[in-house]
Amino acid sequence: MISILFSLLLVPLFSAMLIFIIPNSRKETFRPIGIAFSLITLTQCVYLLFGEYAKTEFKILSTFEWIQSYGINLHFGLSGISTLLLLLSSLLVFVSLLSIGKDHSESKGFVGSLLMLHFAINGVFISGDLISLFIFFEALLIPMYFLMGIWGGENRRYATIKFILYTVFGSVFIFIGTVYTAVISYGVNGKFSVDFETLSLLSLLESQSKTLFLLFTFGFLIKVPIFPLHTWLPDAHVEAPTAGSIMLAGVLLKVGAYGVFRVSIPFFTEGFLAYKNWIAILSVIGIIYGAIVAIAQIDIKKLIAYSSVSHMGFVMLGISAGGFLSIEGALIQMINHGITAGALFMLVGFIYERRHTRKISDFGGIKISMPRYAAIFLFTSFASIGLPGLNGFVGEFMILMGSYNSYKILTSFAAFGVVLAAIYMLWAYQRMFTGPIKYEENKNLSDLNSRETASVLPLLLLMLFIGVYPSYIESFVIKEAVILSDTIALFMELK
Amino acid sequence: MTLVENLMINYVVISPTLSLLFTVIILLFCTITISTPMYIKKWVSFSGVLLTLFMVFLKFGLYSTDGISAYFSNMILSDPFSLVGNTLIAFILLFTFSSFWKTSELIESKTTEALILIFMSASGFMLMVDSENFIMLFIGLEIGSISLYALAGLNRGDQLSNEASLKYFLLGSLASCIFIYGIALLYVSLSIIGLYEINIAINYIGLNNVPLTSFIGIIFIIVGLLFKVAAAPFQAWAPDVYQGSPTGYVGYMAAVAKAASFIVLARLITVSLRFILDQFDLFFSAVVILSVLGGALFATNQSDLKRLIAYSGVIQSGFILSGISSGVFGVSASTFYLITYIIQLVGIFTVFSIISGQLSSDFQISNISGLFKENKFITITFAIFMLGLAGLPLTSGFVSKFILITNLWSYERYVLVSVLMLTTVAGFYFYLRPIWVAAVEKTENVVERILLKKSDKLLLSVLAALTIYFGLLPNTLVNITRWMVESYL
Repeated sequence: MISILFSLLLVPLFSAMLIFIIPNSRKETFRPIGIAFSLITLTQCVYLLFGEYAKTEFKILSTFEWIQSYGINLHFGLSGISTLLLLLSSLLVFVSLLSIGKDHSESKGFVGSLLMLHFAINGVFISGDLISLFIFFEALLIPMYFLMGIWGGENRRYATIKFILYTVFGSVFIFIGTVYTAVISYGVNGKFSVDFETLSLLSLLESQSKTLFLLFTFGFLIKVPIFPLHTWLPDAHVEAPTAGSIMLAGVLLKVGAYGVFRVSIPFFTEGFLAYKNWIAILSVIGIIYGAIVAIAQIDIKKLIAYSSVSHMGFVMLGISAGGFLSIEGALIQMINHGITAGALFMLVGFIYERRHTRKISDFGGIKISMPRYAAIFLFTSFASIGLPGLNGFVGEFMILMGSYNSYKILTSFAAFGVVLAAIYMLWAYQRMFTGPIKYEENKNLSDLNSRETASVLPLLLLMLFIGVYPSYIESFVIKEAVILSDTIALFMELK
Repeated sequence: MTLVENLMINYVVISPTLSLLFTVIILLFCTITISTPMYIKKWVSFSGVLLTLFMVFLKFGLYSTDGISAYFSNMILSDPFSLVGNTLIAFILLFTFSSFWKTSELIESKTTEALILIFMSASGFMLMVDSENFIMLFIGLEIGSISLYALAGLNRGDQLSNEASLKYFLLGSLASCIFIYGIALLYVSLSIIGLYEINIAINYIGLNNVPLTSFIGIIFIIVGLLFKVAAAPFQAWAPDVYQGSPTGYVGYMAAVAKAASFIVLARLITVSLRFILDQFDLFFSAVVILSVLGGALFATNQSDLKRLIAYSGVIQSGFILSGISSGVFGVSASTFYLITYIIQLVGIFTVFSIISGQLSSDFQISNISGLFKENKFITITFAIFMLGLAGLPLTSGFVSKFILITNLWSYERYVLVSVLMLTTVAGFYFYLRPIWVAAVEKTENVVERILLKKSDKLLLSVLAALTIYFGLLPNTLVNITRWMVESYL
């Protein structure tokens, strides 16, 4: 198991280096090599899914000496939700490598950066202590910087710098929180150890717990992103290349929510109880605000970006409600949103490659020229809206049901998010796909070829699978949700 | 903290200085006799560097038998600080050799002069980190600095170079004046002239009876050293000198002065001032805050790369000083920071000297636009060094910042922590900009393919590998810096 854990880091790193070594004259090999290595990682993740750590709470499996004289070690481990997120990230890397056009797939830097991104993401999800979590959290930035900066759109410089500065600003708070935790841990254990096992045994004063919760959560919520801190996301999505958008929406946003779930709440529960109402309020504002702004968008990519703000609001609402059902729903919604948003960005990428525009008004009636594309888009839209039978329904329904106990009024408002989602997605579908063909250029658009269909197909199957058989995915996160909600309930009783 | 007094003459303890001076004398002979071919000069100076490294190695042997001890009538000290300082200076010589040799080769008829100046300055700074006595410290500082003033102006045809030299000289002399004035004040008020004596004298007469003049004296001495490391508000010379001096020399000039001055400052604080350090809290905090905020403010809108690195040097000096001024563990964290910073600094200037390839002092950010297209290796190493300066995880910059901030937090210096972290965020803006221009931006401009010599390629790989190695496995270096302060706990 430990060897698989390390190969999750080393295989992407090695493959990225391999891509960099291969001379540019063999550029047609970049995509097959990248796909082959991401398939290896994907297979390993599937193997982990059937392993003994796929349904447990976080278990540290391996320790690695870092700075001896400070007593700081790096820890790596696994849990149910980590395994699912690892699987999701490997799958998305695989399909985005498959889906990208020729100008990207034959570029050494693009494929290499994507694999480096994979390395960093895997690192985040197997980190067993605050330091390695922070290292990989920051290391995500560099491949994203190059992906957005080199292969981005017109206004990429502004968007890239905004993305980097927002994230670095947030991670400074995480960094200070890590240092503060380390110093507190030094006072108790005599060494600056910040692994999750030590932290769960650390008893904090209420004021310490509150400060630390604020520090960590602020940093993570920028990444989620929650309502007033979300402004980097639409810019980043619009300017990023398709594969960058897929990874950004599919996995990078989950890193923030994962951090809140893994670090902020279990270790600083008192702080969580003090501030959870605020997070819930901001989440619901984000749900409604994101959906309303999405209705008004004329750019389809920006529309999906704002819908991400809305959907991630559900995740944060579920986590902050703190009940067993709502946390479970939030974890499932993280996976679901990764699948649907990834698929939607990929679909937008396909049409952008053909028409080089993302404006909704530039299309109209393309169902006639691209029937297969239209069907897939409609299916994914339904999943995103939360149609029963598809995956989006499962997570949002559980969140709304679970949160209703804690926040009756807020949850009622949040439920409108689902309705609004139907408005913006279906209206966009109607304007883009139905009716007569408005423009000459759209008449001869070629439908999805087999490679493109193959790259979106796994995601569609997963949407259907999770939608009709949600208890399978539930079985992976149930234990963690129970443990976390029990912790929260315990602290509430103590109060 | 015990000092074994050993009045005997022991040449091993100053052997690095001597071997550098010996190289200087041979190089001098090369000039006055028949014109010596270039390659002989090259090998003479390179063997001088290797000899110095070997001599530093011998000093470790001496330390392991004698422990912390003073020689030459308490003038010269052999302690962990001098060992670390000597090693650092010798390695700076080794790592910058290729850049300063290339530049010296280009300055016709002054090759030997340049080499002599470099070796002289190195010997001066070696002496400086070795001295127990303030007078020796001053002599070392002056030998080192005066050579550097001349080195800055060696490219006489260039107006900027002349300006740099004159500015460096005038401001540097002022700093030396302040430094020696501080020594005089200290001597007048407490009748002491040695580093170890300050502590003894203050303990003897009691903190409340210490005359104000002696505090002023100590502050003046510190100011003299802070000038050399370009901490604000004593930073005014740095951007002009970095910009004007021949590019190949700047790496050496910046690194060696910083290394020596910070090591001396670290020793001054660990040995002499550790019990009265809280008296200087306000002074040091002000300098740190001014340095990091001022440096960040000026660095954001620089269009010249060398000026950008100069202002980033001001920020890094602030970071290092924040740890040094906190206490013994802070000194160890700062030394780690100093070593990793010097590796990145030397790497960046090696890249600059390879790219510029000539004497021109002009080095705009726009000059490296499109660098990545033809020079992938150079750009990647350059990016690694810049990211290291920014403090991104997986590079040594992150570990050094982490250790430093952890120590500062333990010392409860929360104001400094928040200011330093703020600067780190701002840093990402201006450290990423050159990378953007060199690799990311779409541009018509192409920097022609630069033929890398094998030695340069090896050097850049070693420096980049060290930057990443200390970011992944910092244990060895942390242990070394811990060992450095262990005897003073």
